[in-house]
Amino acid sequence: MKLSAVQADAIQELGNIGAAHAATTLSQMLSSTVSMSVPAIKAIDLSELGNHIGDESAAMVVFELQGEIQHGGYIIFYITRESAIRLTNTMLGMTDTERDFNEMDQSALLEVGNIMVSAFLDATAELLGFIMLPSPPALSIDMAHAAMESLIAQLGEEVDEVLLFSTELICEEHKIDSDIIMLPEISTLKRITSLLEEMMKGT
Amino acid sequence: MAEPNPETQQTAMIGIGEYRVGSFPMMTIGLGSCIGLTLYDPQKKTGAMVHIMLPDSGGRTDRPGKYADTAIPLLLKELDKIGSSNRSLVAKMAGGACMFEYFGTNLNIGERNTEKVRIILKEQGIKLSAEDVGGKVGRTVTFLPANGGKVSIRRADGVTSEL
Repeated sequence: MKLSAVQADAIQELGNIGAAHAATTLSQMLSSTVSMSVPAIKAIDLSELGNHIGDESAAMVVFELQGEIQHGGYIIFYITRESAIRLTNTMLGMTDTERDFNEMDQSALLEVGNIMVSAFLDATAELLGFIMLPSPPALSIDMAHAAMESLIAQLGEEVDEVLLFSTELICEEHKIDSDIIMLPEISTLKRITSLLEEMMKGT
Repeated sequence: MAEPNPETQQTAMIGIGEYRVGSFPMMTIGLGSCIGLTLYDPQKKTGAMVHIMLPDSGGRTDRPGKYADTAIPLLLKELDKIGSSNRSLVAKMAGGACMFEYFGTNLNIGERNTEKVRIILKEQGIKLSAEDVGGKVGRTVTFLPANGGKVSIRRADGVTSEL
């Protein structure tokens, strides 16, 4: 599906609102300032995925989009391995950055992802009047490309191109760099764009 | 003419659904539930590598490298063109992991990919000499046809192994 310039703008604004709410929750959890980038929209051919997401180690907390739509795609809290350790250290009051991930770290990451993604989806639901709920989260701390291609494989055999909406959230004080990435299934994307278009006509 | 040095030849990056045939180094990065399959002809020191995403094409023909049931026959055809018959080929595969336990319980694509590749190789009479599949682990795979068909695997924690 090709997005028109207007549709892309509308989705960018939607991502902006969702990510701003997610950033606020992160800022509260860290008691520190969190800044966010302009949301980026990327149409990526499957064969090119490796040029966008490499085999670097990262933690990904993944939620399937559910609610009014079944199997609507995924929303992901993505954070590099180094940032993830700094994040859980900040939350758990630790300082050692050379350690391995333990169960406490995993629980903390799942919880942070849960809170941020819920805030993101609450905000978009309010705006769109279309409810997307997160599934229980799943966590992968491994090669980012390996996790992402596994999710795309589950979108279906006819998928040759994906649209990724990502917004970077940065906490400079603790050197934490993370992203909220939305990987919508095609029918979810159509639903969102048509709702946004109706809203723009209405105003 | 001098033999090309495999160390200095550029490595071909093989993205999802792509394949290459030749004697140059080839690489697939970050395999999760996907499969990196190599077919190697020891006599000719040449081979092929493909990055398979799903087991069945369901009749789709536009991206044959993406599905196990279309990728393997295609590679065999390409290798046959340069004089490598099925009997002279040795297969190795890596990948087929289940990166997410929660989603994996519904639909374990990694396992289905692995099974499908095994079945098709058997049907085609090709020996599967080594594999590193399954688990909850990503793999980056390098294939060096000019260097004895060596297949090396690197994991996220930096641990490397050889097939």
